[in-house]
Amino acid sequence: MAKIFLDGKPVEVAEGTTVFKAAQQAGIAIPHFCYHPAFVPEGSCRLCLVEIEGSPKLELSCSTVVREGMKVSTQSPTVREARRGVLEFILAEHPLDCPICDKAGECKLQDYYQDYGLTESVFREFKEKREKKVRIGDKLILDRERCVLCTRCVRFLAEITKTHELGLFERGIHAEIGGYENEPVRNGYSGNLVDLCPVGAITDTDFRFKTRPWFLTKGESICPLCSRGCNIYIDYHPGFPRVPGSAKVYRIRPRTNDAVNGPWICDHGRYGFIDLQQKNRCQTLVWNKGERTAEWSWDKVLITIGERVKALRENGKTNRISLILTTWLTNEELFLIKKIFKDGLGVRNVFFADPAPGPEDGFLLRSERTPNRRGAREMGFDLKAPDLNALVPDTDILFIFGPHFAGISHDGAWKPALEKIPVKILVTSHLNELASTADFVLPAAFLAEKNGTLTNADGRVQKIAAIARACFDIRPESQILLDLAREIRLDDSYFGALSAPEAVHHELVKEIPFFGALP
Amino acid sequence: MLKALGYFVELLRGIWITTRHFVVNMWFHTLNLFGIKTKRKGAVTIQYPEQKKDLAARHRSLHRLMKREDGKPRCVACMLCVTVCPSECIVIEATEDPDPEIQKYPSTFVIDLNRCCFCGFCVEACPEDAIRMDTAKIDLAQTSHDALIFGLDKLLK
Repeated sequence: MAKIFLDGKPVEVAEGTTVFKAAQQAGIAIPHFCYHPAFVPEGSCRLCLVEIEGSPKLELSCSTVVREGMKVSTQSPTVREARRGVLEFILAEHPLDCPICDKAGECKLQDYYQDYGLTESVFREFKEKREKKVRIGDKLILDRERCVLCTRCVRFLAEITKTHELGLFERGIHAEIGGYENEPVRNGYSGNLVDLCPVGAITDTDFRFKTRPWFLTKGESICPLCSRGCNIYIDYHPGFPRVPGSAKVYRIRPRTNDAVNGPWICDHGRYGFIDLQQKNRCQTLVWNKGERTAEWSWDKVLITIGERVKALRENGKTNRISLILTTWLTNEELFLIKKIFKDGLGVRNVFFADPAPGPEDGFLLRSERTPNRRGAREMGFDLKAPDLNALVPDTDILFIFGPHFAGISHDGAWKPALEKIPVKILVTSHLNELASTADFVLPAAFLAEKNGTLTNADGRVQKIAAIARACFDIRPESQILLDLAREIRLDDSYFGALSAPEAVHHELVKEIPFFGALP
Repeated sequence: MLKALGYFVELLRGIWITTRHFVVNMWFHTLNLFGIKTKRKGAVTIQYPEQKKDLAARHRSLHRLMKREDGKPRCVACMLCVTVCPSECIVIEATEDPDPEIQKYPSTFVIDLNRCCFCGFCVEACPEDAIRMDTAKIDLAQTSHDALIFGLDKLLK
């Protein structure tokens, strides 16, 4: 351990720590553009300068290693003057188009100008004119005027993805970021460049111009597109009063968690999530019978379904109920299904229909493309795919959770097979051909709209929260299941106490301690 | 009894005020008729809407969007008016402009006059002087809510 003095405050840090990291541990923020914890320090932005006693010039805190007894001053007048000078040079070439810049509001340059600059520029020269819309990837657009040449993007592509698509070309005032032979940035992690860019130089077409960052509410959640369980922020806008459907999720950003995803997420999750959240959503409660499609109230539908189940139960034929589940369901919902159907009604025909596994990329993206297969396995479910031959003859009532059953198809053989089952109940957040076959379609919440926990492939139980307000007439599956349990009068005292997903989680941990390790 | 007397007193007071206004105004109008200049003028009723008073130079009326020289809206869709609007009545959707010199333009710009409180903050917030409230249109009453939702076509007129 080395003892150093930061602004006169004694701080103990490990040997080999840089001054920047030591200050960070002591809670002192040092401005920086090029430094990023995931990369080797570059020292090109010259903004993290600090004054070290005994050193003739200001030193870069990001690459200077601490020495015993070092006296560092991060806010002395000399340091502030130097930082102001650096900022003035950066701003001499910066277009200052903040009102139309997507980064405005969360831009580091804006923040540092507030902290250190607030000066009139002494430059009387015209600013260099550069290209403002350079397409450097399928979804990425580079604005060379805004770029501060921190080279974070270059180093991300060199050190993390190792694909080296971008580089720094030319020198001095002509220096600019560009691709070799104009090859586009095409790897599964290109979206991270947008988060890495400290200014608004790299933007992605998905978020570009859609809204301004200060309108968005940030919520912590888990990416549901593979079993890695990357930690994400969901940026949500509650919408405008007179524009129906304007409430929506605008973007997904990584939430740093070194145990799971570090500071990155893949493009599959980043761009796939928003499509899932918005497209093909099941919005209305429907009861199909022949030609007539009537919209019913939730209570009426649940009473009707409850009566059908109760009738089977009175005849002692509850084993003629079958389930097709999905691992889009949270731990709590799977637990409720286990309690109601497996333990309560003695259902044996339980199948899982999940999206087809995709290729693994060796970094974050895993081949299992649902978030909670591990959770279902730990719960004691056997994750077998639907077997139509076993399913059809033994089933009077079929509950289908999630839309994936149609996807695994059996070449469309599911359709005539389902016709033979008297009652089909579909609980889904998304619509597909299944909805036309089912007798009841219950619109369910998507993962950004409900509370609960998910278990990733490494057995890490992580929380998701209802961030986006459900704009349609939808209910979370846990509520549907509890209402159903009440309708069929299944152990009222037990299910009556489980009103919220938190209470269900508590009960789940009591029964299966594996789920107790909530980080 | 006392209450009835009170009514009577107030009635007389009312008649007195009306008579006073009539006599005073008539007096100044008569003087004016004979060409005698007085400092005070007699009160005049303006026959609105046939007759309209001039609006002050800094009045706030129906919004309009300004155009560039080539006829495109001057608005750059920065959404600062949306941000500042206290009644959340402005909705803007920005779109990439094909012109490489212009970043974005508003593909929809909706002002919901049902909600608008005519505070004029949008005009003050606009960095491009793209929105103004100087059309002098103040008779905006409509028979339906939908007729009060103004889109780009109406605002650019």
